[in-house]
Amino acid sequence: MSTTAVEVIYRGIFQRTMAKHITRGIVLAARKEGKVGIAFGRYGDSPERNGIPAKQFAIVAANDEELQGSIAKYEPTEVDVTIAVDDALCKGVESWAWYGLQPVNKLLKENGTLIVTSTKSAEELIPHIHKKDVAYNLAIIKGKASFSGLWVYKNDHTDMRMLGALPRVAPHLFGSPALEAAIREEWKDDLKVASAEKSFERVQIRKVKPDEGSPEIPFSFTMPGWKSMEEGLVVRAIPLGGHFEGYDGGYRPERNPYFKKFTTRTMRPVVDFAKCTKCTLCWLQCPDSCFDVTPDGYYDANMEACCGCGVCEAVCPVDKCVTMVNETQFEDNKSQWEMWTKDKNGYAGWLAKKIEHRPERSHGFHHRGQYEGEKIEQID
Amino acid sequence: MTAQANALEIQKLDAFKGVKKVTIEEYFTSGHRTCQGCESALVMKLMVKASGPRTIVLGSTGCMYVANTTYYTTPWVVPWMHTQLGSSGSAALGTAAGLKVLMRKGKMKKEPINVIAFCGDGGGVDMGLSAISATLMHPQYNLLILCYDNESYANTDIQVSGASPWGANTTFSPPGKKYRIMHTRWKKNVAGMLAAGHPGCRYVATVCASYALDMMNKVRKALSIGGPTFIHSFDPCPKGWDYDPMYSHELGELAIEAGIFPLYEVEDMKLKFYGKTKKIVEGRLKRKPVRDYLLRQGRFAHFTDEDTDYFQKKTDEMWEKWILPGVIPLRPEDGA
Amino acid sequence: MAAQATGAAAAKAPPTSKSDDQEMLISGCEAIAHACRLADIDVVTAYPIRPYDTVMQMVSKMIADGDLDAEYIVAESEHSQFEIVKHASAVGARVFAGSSGVGWFYAFEALAVTAGLRLPVVAMVGNRALDDPGAFGTEHNDALAVRDLGWMLTWVETAQEAMDNALIAFRVAEDPHVFLPCAVSVDGAFLTHSQHLVKVPSREKVNQFLKPYNRGNKLLHPDNPITIAPQVNEDWLIEIRKQNDEAMKRARGVIAEAYKDFNRIFGRNYSPFLEEYMTDDADVVLVGQGTLAMPVKVTVRKLREQGKKVGFVRLKWFRPFPTEEIQQSLKRFKAVGVIDRDYSFGSPYSGGVLYTEIRSALYDLPNRPLLHGFICGLGGREVTIEGVTEMSEILLKSAKSGKLEKQVAWIGVRE
Repeated sequence: MSTTAVEVIYRGIFQRTMAKHITRGIVLAARKEGKVGIAFGRYGDSPERNGIPAKQFAIVAANDEELQGSIAKYEPTEVDVTIAVDDALCKGVESWAWYGLQPVNKLLKENGTLIVTSTKSAEELIPHIHKKDVAYNLAIIKGKASFSGLWVYKNDHTDMRMLGALPRVAPHLFGSPALEAAIREEWKDDLKVASAEKSFERVQIRKVKPDEGSPEIPFSFTMPGWKSMEEGLVVRAIPLGGHFEGYDGGYRPERNPYFKKFTTRTMRPVVDFAKCTKCTLCWLQCPDSCFDVTPDGYYDANMEACCGCGVCEAVCPVDKCVTMVNETQFEDNKSQWEMWTKDKNGYAGWLAKKIEHRPERSHGFHHRGQYEGEKIEQID
Repeated sequence: MTAQANALEIQKLDAFKGVKKVTIEEYFTSGHRTCQGCESALVMKLMVKASGPRTIVLGSTGCMYVANTTYYTTPWVVPWMHTQLGSSGSAALGTAAGLKVLMRKGKMKKEPINVIAFCGDGGGVDMGLSAISATLMHPQYNLLILCYDNESYANTDIQVSGASPWGANTTFSPPGKKYRIMHTRWKKNVAGMLAAGHPGCRYVATVCASYALDMMNKVRKALSIGGPTFIHSFDPCPKGWDYDPMYSHELGELAIEAGIFPLYEVEDMKLKFYGKTKKIVEGRLKRKPVRDYLLRQGRFAHFTDEDTDYFQKKTDEMWEKWILPGVIPLRPEDGA
Repeated sequence: MAAQATGAAAAKAPPTSKSDDQEMLISGCEAIAHACRLADIDVVTAYPIRPYDTVMQMVSKMIADGDLDAEYIVAESEHSQFEIVKHASAVGARVFAGSSGVGWFYAFEALAVTAGLRLPVVAMVGNRALDDPGAFGTEHNDALAVRDLGWMLTWVETAQEAMDNALIAFRVAEDPHVFLPCAVSVDGAFLTHSQHLVKVPSREKVNQFLKPYNRGNKLLHPDNPITIAPQVNEDWLIEIRKQNDEAMKRARGVIAEAYKDFNRIFGRNYSPFLEEYMTDDADVVLVGQGTLAMPVKVTVRKLREQGKKVGFVRLKWFRPFPTEEIQQSLKRFKAVGVIDRDYSFGSPYSGGVLYTEIRSALYDLPNRPLLHGFICGLGGREVTIEGVTEMSEILLKSAKSGKLEKQVAWIGVRE
């Protein structure tokens, strides 16, 4: 066999432990078949930030010599399998500054497999995923994105189910017996083995053709060299920003074009402007300065800057004025206020439909004992 | 003539009278890579909103450097410069001294420019304390040092600091099979210490961005009172404390309501409590049990009832035994 | 090429009415304090440690007397001392600080970032042995520790040169083509704490030489909103290091140019990087930096009287290292002995820092001299005529036999 690379794309911190379990599980399972491997996180993602997409990798090779080509690297140039443990990542991954938004399938080889955990169908997800010029497979493991935090792990077996699908989609990596042996040895839990087995049977795989997917052209940035970079470690500040384009009033801060942060979002605030009392709290308390002040004094969450933390919903004193909605319900980052201004009735209808999709997901720890209640539902 | 003469003019920054009067412009926008619900990023935003455009910000190493200010993706509208982890005091001092002398000597246009240096709790409560202390003793320089305290070395991946609360799980104090509690130090009382021990400093305040207007107005007062000033900001940290980011605001409020972090300002050595802390001090608000606060965070998930009781007892002491409740723990020998 | 001084006969005449220079009897530290006054520095920070700190005693008195208008801050540590001037420099202030021995090391983080930030901080290092054990005498390891970081380093021989090089340091450091910090090393005790006759020029002359510091569009000021030193990853740092490297390379030309102007304005006859002493027909030379030049020069004259063709080359700038000048100079001799007032334990041949650098600089020469390393004068022990004679004899023996006598020798150490 040649070297096989697997990447796990996940939400920083929330899914770190899970990603680590997956990449470690891959190497340990391959080891059971006498192969060698390494597991590592992308160094640039560390220290991880809550929600910001991050990557970990597992590389498996036949022997040490073959593995050498994959060591002392930050990330492989291509992978056989990409695992995305949150379907909102299908819209793209912007981890760190000037890399820009990258397609979730960017590193995937021809005929490689993208595994996504989702309650959606392939047909629903593919429009979010950037087109690729080669065919690949999309494998879906039914389930919600599993989020926990740094200290308390939500042990809902998502990690095992991801591992369980691998002998199906990449049998050259390792077979089910090796995986089961590794899980038993590392986690000493028969239930986990069962989760992996079920996933092997249930994973749904579909071929994605080169013309399928989102036509968006990903961001590109040419990095200047030492002769054109400013000396003295200087970069120019962000300009102050100003009025809304085409209006006399309002204020829209200028925003850094090189890091937009919106792929961090798994939920987005939807604002019912008809209910808004202009109390300022969403605008004032937003850590990402994402609310534009509209010419008529409303606060419009700018979807290029919003990372979906939910503080605006939490501080809003009016019931259902700001509602966090699952990110996968949206196709673009258009201004809600502009939509509302143009067609208030149309907006009301749109809003009513959107806020049906209130989060089934949680962004981590709410109170002690919370995960114990959630875990059963996920394992089935 | 004393060498302290020729203090520069300072900016006149009156308190914002209500949220509607708050500056609309942002001087800290996007481009930063902080966590969802990062309260410290909010502190940065409010801090420069309060100070306005004629401000220079010096940022110590920490989250608000590494996550916040990345090459080519700066979020800063105002001039900003990195400084070392333990250098917030020196950075503010050097900048203020440079501006002062250049203006005095006619090498730079005379105008009041705000100088703000920020540090995290690692930079303020641990490593940089000595330089902050020294800087607060130079009344001839106008500057503000703001310590954004998220109660750990959050940037380096949540290691225990002198500001971490007793018992908290951090990567340097993980609960284990033998010891459940690895972090056995009580949180250092840095604002109280700096306020009490620095006759050169006219203003020390504690703030929490859950109360944004109060927080900004303390910044404005700190910048317009003259001389070196210090603000200690209590910043819930969804990553290190392990909670859903949408609760950043609420956990800040809970900490105040439970009496864990008191809100006060010390102006010319006169102590004034404000907000809910004032109500607690005046007996108009009963402190919430610390349990309500602790059990909302993954970092205390390993606590037993005995641990939360101990935490409660130590918090009660702050209010019941300290000579100045929540601020100064001294008490007369015959008191008790 | 050699500026041949002629010993005692060259004793300077008292100042004449033609020059507006004022002759003063001052220490090396005080000479640098005068350079600070003449350069009209804006911010200066002090922290006590022997032997550099007398410069700050003088500076503070100058400020108290109104002879110098600067912000004078007594910091709470060397780290703060250097952080304060670093930040003052970023907002456009001409700055000065200094330290010695472990004090310089206490500031090490600040020293590293100052070079990285390309801020033209000028510092004096009163060279002192590193603790432990505590010792006050001179050793060059303190200043040398920053040799890889982007600090320019110069060593001086006299109090006069201390003042002159401090002025040159401001000019070179603040040149926008350079924008690098510069440390002027002054041997503890011998220069820091002894008073010499120094020609102190007028402010007008200095103003001709030294233009105001202008940070240009890198000034940290609300009128020029910039972000300085944001966090980078592996995508950027090598380019940034390359910029630093190029700045240091450019510094060579800027230094040469500064000496030209300095000589013209102040009527000196300095060569920028090396001072050669009785080298024209020498078979062997010693190389060293700092005040050990004095006993070496005396010994060279004595040996010359005995017909021994010994000379001396004094290195004035260690960073940027004058590679070509060193090559051109040393290739003319049969044997060369490098005197290190420093150590580098575990280095190639257990030689000193200067030895290792010079050895590297000579590597590409088709005909290299036999190269010896001598470690002596550590902890401030005097470099004696006997010691220098011993070194010279080793060199002469090698030159005669054509064989390296001893790779590295410690001189004047009790067995």
